[in-house]
Amino acid sequence: MATNPKKLHLAAIGFILPALIIYALFVLYPLIVSLWGSFFQWRGIRQMGFVGLSNFARLFVFPNGPKFTGAFWHNVAWFFGIMVFQNAVGLIFAWLLFWRKKFGVFLQSVFFFPAVLSPVIVGALWRLLLAPNGLVEWLLNNAGLHQGRLTVLSDGDWALWVLMAIDAWNWMGLPVLIFAAGFRQISQEVFEAARIDGASTTRTLFSIALPLLIPSISSVTILTFINSFNQFDIVYVMEGVQGSPNFATDTLVTFFYRLAFGSVGSTGITDTGLALALGTVLFLVVTIGSVLMLRAFDRATVQP
Amino acid sequence: MNAVLFFRRLPGWAVLALWTLVVLLPLYTLVVSCFKSTAQIYDNPLALPQQWTGDNFANAWNTLSLGQNLLNSLFVTVAAVIVTILVSAMAAYPLSRYGLKWGNWMLLLFLAGIMLPIRLASVELFSLMKSLNLIDSLFGLVWVYVAIRIPFAVFIFANFMRSLPHELEEAARIDGASEVRILFSIILPVVAPAVAIVAIFTSIAIWNDFFFPLIFIFSDNNKTVPLAIAGFVGQYRTDWGTIFAALGISLAPVLAMYLILARQIREGVGAAGGIK
Repeated sequence: MATNPKKLHLAAIGFILPALIIYALFVLYPLIVSLWGSFFQWRGIRQMGFVGLSNFARLFVFPNGPKFTGAFWHNVAWFFGIMVFQNAVGLIFAWLLFWRKKFGVFLQSVFFFPAVLSPVIVGALWRLLLAPNGLVEWLLNNAGLHQGRLTVLSDGDWALWVLMAIDAWNWMGLPVLIFAAGFRQISQEVFEAARIDGASTTRTLFSIALPLLIPSISSVTILTFINSFNQFDIVYVMEGVQGSPNFATDTLVTFFYRLAFGSVGSTGITDTGLALALGTVLFLVVTIGSVLMLRAFDRATVQP
Repeated sequence: MNAVLFFRRLPGWAVLALWTLVVLLPLYTLVVSCFKSTAQIYDNPLALPQQWTGDNFANAWNTLSLGQNLLNSLFVTVAAVIVTILVSAMAAYPLSRYGLKWGNWMLLLFLAGIMLPIRLASVELFSLMKSLNLIDSLFGLVWVYVAIRIPFAVFIFANFMRSLPHELEEAARIDGASEVRILFSIILPVVAPAVAIVAIFTSIAIWNDFFFPLIFIFSDNNKTVPLAIAGFVGQYRTDWGTIFAALGISLAPVLAMYLILARQIREGVGAAGGIK
């Protein structure tokens, strides 16, 4: 190399430092201090003495216990709901589009459009469409599938599933694009060979394409996992920060937000210690879950 | 295409047509409702407006100061995207091309940020911002967004830069070009596709973000579009025409961007492997 290594080393440090300082100051530092702070008692936003695991213990007993477990299971349901209604369906869409070369590309762009919209806009739009007198009620009434007022958003049995469906509408284009890119990477000869052997398209999908698609399935699954446990925007806009009706759509992050910053309009009591403990639990769930999934998918990957 | 193939493909087309309808019908309803009174929307949500008036737009624009909100979002997005690209490209260059012993560890430290649930650190982030005097400030948002988007940008830049031949900078070094010059006049132009991917996905993520403005922005003057819309929808829930118009106004710039960049976005999602 023309330049001496020492000079290059100095240049490297100079290049990395700006990004490292910003990243360390606004991401790593608050995260580490938050994890550490979950072992302390808090008065408002003032840190008091070390209390060990007592914040975590409080998280699991009344009155926080039921809210915590409720929100946790809503996030779990959200993950599996999206895996089926968005990702499995998206896989079928991508497969159908893959065989329709010309029009397929155009439809990919149509399907992806909602994904560039803010979940706030999407949530606000669907809140109007699903309200009494809205588009969905009007369509269902005219098709004779439903009579009278549509109240799914204020119905505890329906609300969470409706929100998941809106989330799937928002992000359907993402698995479609990722899977479509995955299909394109499989060599054409593999499909040609399957066709000559007389395999049906369904069989080709399940026995040939899917095993080769594991890297794409991996990134879609992990992305869905992280996003499901971070759900906030759609719930906030459509059901409020309390996860109405009666906490039926409460998620871990809406619960965290109420504990950390108080809820608008209500008493606004915050509990920083509890919020940090919840944050630590959520951090562990998301990181450990993602790493485990990553390893499982790595092991399952077929070497071409 | 022969007839047999056509009929075999009919069910597939039907499925695709159905989802196209599910995507487009709400957007169509949004567009026509912008021009109708609330009573007309109730009456028949799908009907075309009787006359194309801009009353709703005027209402939304005036009660909501959407102009200010759009400017705020634009400023935060553009500033954060420029800084993100600058510092991330600088960091990715030595990490991907100098063969440093500690380079992989440093890269891993940056990449970890793609998975870290940063929202959970928002209590401590709030205290930090308060001591830096960055609460209720658009500059504060810019710093937070740059920090959050650095991992993705470093990941993309490092991937693109790694595949370039080493002759590229070696010749320039012999000619005595500085490292800064090599990065900005030789490497960066070659990885222009990476710059495009980072610019597009970073702007979408920042433009659409709701969580951090909700925590850090208080005054109406500093609100970004998603924060203003979220408040508006809660307050004016019976005036549908105006809400639809507000949604229409905030959707328009994104739609315009999408019509121009749809191909790049499609290819970018494939190239980035779906990491947002």
